Amino acid sequence: MNQEKIYTRLPVIQITGLKKSFGSNRVLNNFNIDLREGENLIVLGKSGSGKSVLIKCIIGLILPDEGSIKIFDEEVTDMSHDELDMMRVKVGFLFQSNALYDSMTIRENLEFPLRRHWVGGATDHVTDLVLEALTNVGLEKTIDMKPSELSGGMRKRIALARTLILKPKIILYDEPTAGLDPITGKEISNLMLDVQKKYNTSSIIISHDMSCVKIVANRIAVLIEGMCYAIGTYDELKQSDDIRIKQFFD
Amino acid sequence: MQSKAFESFLFEIGNLSAFIGRFFREVFHPKYEFEELLNQCFFIGNRSLVLVCATGLIIGLVITIQSHPSMEAFGTESWLPSVVSVSLVREIVPVITALICAGKIGSGIGAELGSMKVTEQIDAMEVSGTNPFKYLIVTRVVATVLMLPLLVVLGDTVALVGAYFGVNIHEVVSVNLFCNQVFEKLTFGDIMPSIIKSFFFGFAISIIGCYKGYNTKNGTQGVGRAANSSVVLSIFVVFIIDLIAAQITDIMNIL
Repeated sequence: MNQEKIYTRLPVIQITGLKKSFGSNRVLNNFNIDLREGENLIVLGKSGSGKSVLIKCIIGLILPDEGSIKIFDEEVTDMSHDELDMMRVKVGFLFQSNALYDSMTIRENLEFPLRRHWVGGATDHVTDLVLEALTNVGLEKTIDMKPSELSGGMRKRIALARTLILKPKIILYDEPTAGLDPITGKEISNLMLDVQKKYNTSSIIISHDMSCVKIVANRIAVLIEGMCYAIGTYDELKQSDDIRIKQFFD
Repeated sequence: MQSKAFESFLFEIGNLSAFIGRFFREVFHPKYEFEELLNQCFFIGNRSLVLVCATGLIIGLVITIQSHPSMEAFGTESWLPSVVSVSLVREIVPVITALICAGKIGSGIGAELGSMKVTEQIDAMEVSGTNPFKYLIVTRVVATVLMLPLLVVLGDTVALVGAYFGVNIHEVVSVNLFCNQVFEKLTFGDIMPSIIKSFFFGFAISIIGCYKGYNTKNGTQGVGRAANSSVVLSIFVVFIIDLIAAQITDIMNIL
């Protein structure tokens, strides 16, 4: 994707001066970033550097101490519970552990967000949407299975299908290839790229996996000491002489 | 060291109180999760049904057999059905049923919610537009509060059947005579306190299991700890409630 085109697009998420501490541990310290329409933005950082906290602040699961998070120009930190629910229809979240409900079948897992966010549909229509989401990830045959019967890669695809079922405009991925073998990781990365092209979604992706980063990234933000230390394309950052950036690419 | 342990104990009490407070705020506030409540009633009732029946039958039988020699020594064996039934209904069956439920339901709730917490399923539920406290906690607590008294009534009935078999080991007593002897002494004032206290047992068992599970930390190790501490703490609280209930009943009988 042409970088000039990305910078001219409207921001869908604007984060300004974000701060979050847990006790004496300051995780985010004046973090600023924009996510532009239709781009895949990778957030790169060491374990425990606050990447997951960042996207949980965006979706409203964690309340930041200071700063502003705007999604489609609406301030998330001031939202009531009902407003957050409305916002979450537009923003999907893929959890690192997939977070599929063990006690439910795949069909019930996918129906759950549909029935919760949108109650007006007939049963046939709900089934159609579930099948469409499963077809998108190539797992329509698993509809009546339980999550425990699936492999790690299949569970990740189902979790992605559940994220996609509400057709969100923005997707937040928390380490989508963590714990997967390189081949399955590459399949998931390509699937994320397909999703971006098919639905024109904008995504923030937390990842350590440089092969995934190389496939899906339009821009990369490096998170060090709670701040956005550097931002640029894969090639720009790879050529950097800064040792703190280089360590991610070596 | 001791002051730190005491501080952490007070902290735990404070958090549990806040958790109970949140339960009472959420339970009366719509939207109500009736479908999940019915599911939980089925699971909780069904999960302990066989165990409560089997234990009730054995306890009824054993208490009758054990009481027979003492009562025979005093020449009061004809009182056996009434004495045994009063002790079963007032004390033994409600407490035994609560202990079974603490082991079965309390640990189940603690482990289930704990594993949901560490695998981010509770966060996923919130992202899906569901209030996880209402969906997971309120339904489980209300279901246990409703189901435990029913299990106690069932346990009482089966225990009395066990007592009937126990009485018939030594002498032949007809069902009619046994029932007459039981209900001659067993009054409304014996049954009601046991039913009322079983509501409190149900509340204590489920709220402790939910609290421990919902606040699980430190991965899978935390899940085991949540299940274990749910059982230990709820058994302890069951005995405390039983002690308070006995005192209240005693005062009311005097009045």
